Amino acid sequence: MVDLSQYLPILLFLFIALGLSVAFVFLPMGVSRLTGAHQPTAEKLSEYECGFPAFEDSRGQFDVRFYLVAILFIVFDLEAAFLFPWAVSLDLTGWAGWTTMMIFLAELAVGLAYAWKVGALEWE
Amino acid sequence: MDYATSLYLTGAEIGLSISGLVLLLVSAWGGARVTRLVTILAAAALFGAAIFTGHLFTELSVPAAGDAFGGLYRADDFSSFAKILIYLAVIACLMITPKYLAANGIYRSEYPILLLFGAVGMSMMVSAVDLITLYIGLELSSLSSYVLASFARDDVRSSEAGLKYFILGALASGILLYGMSLIYGFAGTTDYAAIRLAFIGGIETGALFGIVFVLAGLAFKIAAVPFHMWTPDVYEGAPTPVTAFFASAPKVAAVAILMRIALEPFADHVDSWRQIVVFAALASIVVGALGAIGQDSLKRLLAYSSINNVGFILIGLATATQLGTSAMMTYLVIYVVMTLGSFTALLMLRAEDGRPFETFSDIAGLATRKPAIAWCLLLLMFSLAGIPPLFGFWAKFVVFRAAVEADLIALAAIGIAASVIGAFYYLKFVKVMFFDEAEGSVVKTSPIGQWIVLILAGIIVSPLGYFLNGLLDAWSSDAAASLFYLV
Amino acid sequence: MSSILIIVFLPLLAAIIAGFGNRALGNTVAKSITTGALFVSCVLSWPIFLGFLGGTATAEVVQVLTWVRSGTLTFDWALRVDTLTAVMLVVITTVSALVHLYSWGYMDEDPDQPRFFAYLSLFTFAMLMLVTADNLVQMFFGWEGVGLASYLLIGFWFRKPSANAAAIKAFVVNRVGDLGFMLGIFGTYLVFNTVSIPAILEAAPAMSGATIGFLGYRMATMDVLCILLFIGAMGKSAQLGLHTWLPDAMEGPTPVSALIHAATMVTAGVFMVCRLSPMFETAPVALAVVTFIGAATCLFAATVGTTQWDIKRVIAYSTCSQLGYMFFAAGVGAYGVAMFHLFTHAFFKALLFLGAGSVIHAMHHEQDMRYYGALRKEIPLTFWAMLAGTLAITGVGIYWLHAGFAGFHSKDAILEAAWGRGTELGRFAFWMGTIAALLTSFYSWRLMFLTFWGKPRWIESEHIQHAVHAGHDEPEDHNPARQEDSGHDVTHAVPPPEYRGGTGGYHPHESPVSMLVPLGVLTLGAIFAGFVFTDAFVDSETFWAGSIYYNEGLIHELHEVPLLVKLAASIVMLLGLTAAWFAYIKDTSIPEKAADQLGPIYHFFYNKWYFDELYRYVFLKPAFWFGRVFWKAIDMGTIDRFGPNGAAWLVSKGSVAAKRFQTGYLYSYALVMLLGLVAAITWVVF
Repeated sequence: MVDLSQYLPILLFLFIALGLSVAFVFLPMGVSRLTGAHQPTAEKLSEYECGFPAFEDSRGQFDVRFYLVAILFIVFDLEAAFLFPWAVSLDLTGWAGWTTMMIFLAELAVGLAYAWKVGALEWE
Repeated sequence: MDYATSLYLTGAEIGLSISGLVLLLVSAWGGARVTRLVTILAAAALFGAAIFTGHLFTELSVPAAGDAFGGLYRADDFSSFAKILIYLAVIACLMITPKYLAANGIYRSEYPILLLFGAVGMSMMVSAVDLITLYIGLELSSLSSYVLASFARDDVRSSEAGLKYFILGALASGILLYGMSLIYGFAGTTDYAAIRLAFIGGIETGALFGIVFVLAGLAFKIAAVPFHMWTPDVYEGAPTPVTAFFASAPKVAAVAILMRIALEPFADHVDSWRQIVVFAALASIVVGALGAIGQDSLKRLLAYSSINNVGFILIGLATATQLGTSAMMTYLVIYVVMTLGSFTALLMLRAEDGRPFETFSDIAGLATRKPAIAWCLLLLMFSLAGIPPLFGFWAKFVVFRAAVEADLIALAAIGIAASVIGAFYYLKFVKVMFFDEAEGSVVKTSPIGQWIVLILAGIIVSPLGYFLNGLLDAWSSDAAASLFYLV
Repeated sequence: MSSILIIVFLPLLAAIIAGFGNRALGNTVAKSITTGALFVSCVLSWPIFLGFLGGTATAEVVQVLTWVRSGTLTFDWALRVDTLTAVMLVVITTVSALVHLYSWGYMDEDPDQPRFFAYLSLFTFAMLMLVTADNLVQMFFGWEGVGLASYLLIGFWFRKPSANAAAIKAFVVNRVGDLGFMLGIFGTYLVFNTVSIPAILEAAPAMSGATIGFLGYRMATMDVLCILLFIGAMGKSAQLGLHTWLPDAMEGPTPVSALIHAATMVTAGVFMVCRLSPMFETAPVALAVVTFIGAATCLFAATVGTTQWDIKRVIAYSTCSQLGYMFFAAGVGAYGVAMFHLFTHAFFKALLFLGAGSVIHAMHHEQDMRYYGALRKEIPLTFWAMLAGTLAITGVGIYWLHAGFAGFHSKDAILEAAWGRGTELGRFAFWMGTIAALLTSFYSWRLMFLTFWGKPRWIESEHIQHAVHAGHDEPEDHNPARQEDSGHDVTHAVPPPEYRGGTGGYHPHESPVSMLVPLGVLTLGAIFAGFVFTDAFVDSETFWAGSIYYNEGLIHELHEVPLLVKLAASIVMLLGLTAAWFAYIKDTSIPEKAADQLGPIYHFFYNKWYFDELYRYVFLKPAFWFGRVFWKAIDMGTIDRFGPNGAAWLVSKGSVAAKRFQTGYLYSYALVMLLGLVAAITWVVF
């Protein structure tokens, strides 16, 4: 059986993070409610102008281009997520590690070039 | 670590990957003009990969295995056999496609490239001897498949098929990953050999959970009951060439990894998973047969037929013997030929107004209108039904023989009985084609690529196919032997 | 001696070519190929026979192919050639070749000639396989092969319902016998663990006295086996009880009757008993059965033969009767004599049939002897041939000269052997045989007198009237296949009150040369076959050379019987001739008066001892009743309902359920997956 005790700090960290995030969300709400004037209007209660309503029928339609941007974002976001551990452990992985990452980046670059060329990055 | 050896062993995948990337750029800059060129080059790349793999197959001393990248990847006879089959199936898919896609206005160069990446993913799957490699290969092929399913993106059915496939596939991937993480949690490793060592003294309930989850995730990929629900909808909705692809190459890959994972890391716990496999096999045979009977859509019918065939393949897995494994490999080859042949025949049929033939009423009286295609379909359908002396009979025969030799006589008996149900709808094909009144418009001629695939398939399933028996048996046993090499 | 391969397989090859080539080949080519093949076989067969006769040839087995190797059950396709086979070879190939030739003329107008000749050759092949068999299974192959060919040929004119019925009857009755034969083969394999005939015969004496348990009874093993095998022989050789198919088989073309239902196939049973004679010798009860059945058939068929009007049926019952002689000869242990009678009978009976065919041909397919008469002058060659055949079958000869027609030598030897055996059964057989010989002489001469003597009675015949009124009296103008009514049923009327004279303006014509040549050759056989070969067949142990069981003592006894016994056959022959002369030449009203006075007996004989009626009530009605019960209640009501139909119902319901399950909604698909997963985990864990 794997010794799970070394994961305890992570668990503690999770709890603390949870507590803090709850505090950060509800503390300002509570303070502003207690201190400020509370005069809601329809405009004030609506979502940000450029966003989606948070709760509505899940079958509602929206522009498919949002998906495209999101997918591309994930790809390059993950690239960054890989780059960090690679960078700090480069002294361990050596040339092999370097080469591998370069291949990975090259593949991403090909993907980017393709997406660019076929116009996936253009909104219109 | 000897990189040269690793790169050599993975030559086929590397070659295909580079070809895919290059062709991607070519297609981006070349536009619609280069579609045909890209298709041909993709086929050439696959052909090269098949030749290279064949070279590995003969060169690697039987049944020795060559491990690459520190035990993440293995090139052995088993993987080579499966890969060659996959590559050839994909080439066949490339050959039969262009006419259909062009007729529907969706012949784009991304299509061959997606097939190429799918082939890379599948060949990684069959060579994987590590859960991580397995997962990456699986996802690569799956993602290609999701896109391919919705390739006719302006067609509602195609989009629906893609979305359904994607969501259920994601669910299956989640189940698979959860199982892998459980196994990793209990074994402390993702390497097959190491997992086996870890469980050699016994297996915890949690790890059993892991095994079941992994098998369930893979059962989705091969469309075994009860993880088959997506199959009819996706097969029907996807463009027909894509359906042909789904029914052939990915099946081979998924069955192959299922075999490897069942018989390498979990080989000592056959009794734990055999019951599931037996159930899945019988359920697939019965549901596949029953579901197909009521169908009017030919693609849906063939989807159920593939479920039915997977059931027979799983009988071989349930034996967990070398003979059974060898029988599965033989079955896969014959199954791929029959499936590709049937779909090709469907592809070649379209009405005067360009509408593809998709229902029984379309093919009524085909024998008078298109005798060559009708006769090929007759051979293929009789073969699928397992009627001797056609080659499909041999496939079923070897599987049942393996089951009987492994003392799974009840399983074999039920399987044989259930195959009778399946014969009904295969024979219905023949009845409709040869005895019903012809109606509707004349069919247009078909391009040479489709003819080649259809006629080859017809020849192989005909009694002439038995000439291949010697080779096929030898290769299947080599492949099976390499799975049991380390046992 | 690889000529045996040619002898056996050439007819098969010819049959395949003629059969599949059929109309593409054309009549002449198909006929030439088959007839040519048979003549080649025939020419090759005689040297083999003469080799055995001269003592220069030795028995041998020619391997052809491996057939079955399965556990201890091993047998091959092999051709055995010994004396017994050689005798059969010449009989089969000679008669078959002549019948082929004869059919050129007889079947000249038939639209389906290639098929006919292909069947004939196929039959010859099967018969040759039967007689050359080295093991029981190959013998059974030939046995069934001749049965098939017989079925096809009896039903050759398949547009005639009566021909189809006769063909089916022949097949079904033979199945009864074949069941016995099969059980015999199975039992033999069970007991001896082999189906090789030499091995069985070698092991048989040691099994004498062994018993076998069946349903709680202990029975002598060899008796059981031999009786089972003999039941097979009874079916094929139309012995009493299983004889009913043979007269009906006359629906087939006359050459077929000559070849299959006189000379060769029907003698297969006799051949089988002789081939297995060392085995039968160890089974006294079985031999008694053979003797009794043989003797009974001999008399029974002869009595029926005296009353029939259809010329072919008379000869058919005569065949049945002669086969009875052969069987009781074998039953008393005189196998060589049985084979001798088989040999001579083949010639004179084929001659009689072909002669009858010639008469029928001349009389425009009229088969009823009541409408013949005075044909002696019209078709003289046929007359002389028929006369020779009649002299042969009635056994005309002079004892003191040791010279006579073929039947004289063989039939007398049989009667002497039966007496010489000395047992009560032997004496019984002798008396039965002697009475039958009397009747044989009577019905044979009756046939001759009715046909060739007296006044023409042709005008009564519908066939003749048809020919005359149609304005052409050439019989050749009509082919039998189109004659829906050519199988004139004799049972439709009692004899007419008077034979009205008159030719009706009809002129019979002698048959063409292709039909007369076979008649000539067979005439020679009918005259000389007995005289020439009697020493070899009856008296020479060296001739048989161990291919049959040879009872030296019996042959000795055979020659020592009282003079009266030796003369018995000749005496009754003369009696029969005299009676026939009185009845059909001197005073033609005698038969009618006799029929009136002997009413019940006459009708008993005329209706063939009511065998068909008996079978109808004892077997057919219950069989139909059982059939209906099994069909309606068991097959349709139970098996179909719960078997195929039930399964189909279940499948269609299942398919509807499977379809309904496939809702098309993602969430239900996902639910099924998860439920499956949960079920699998539950199963594995618990």
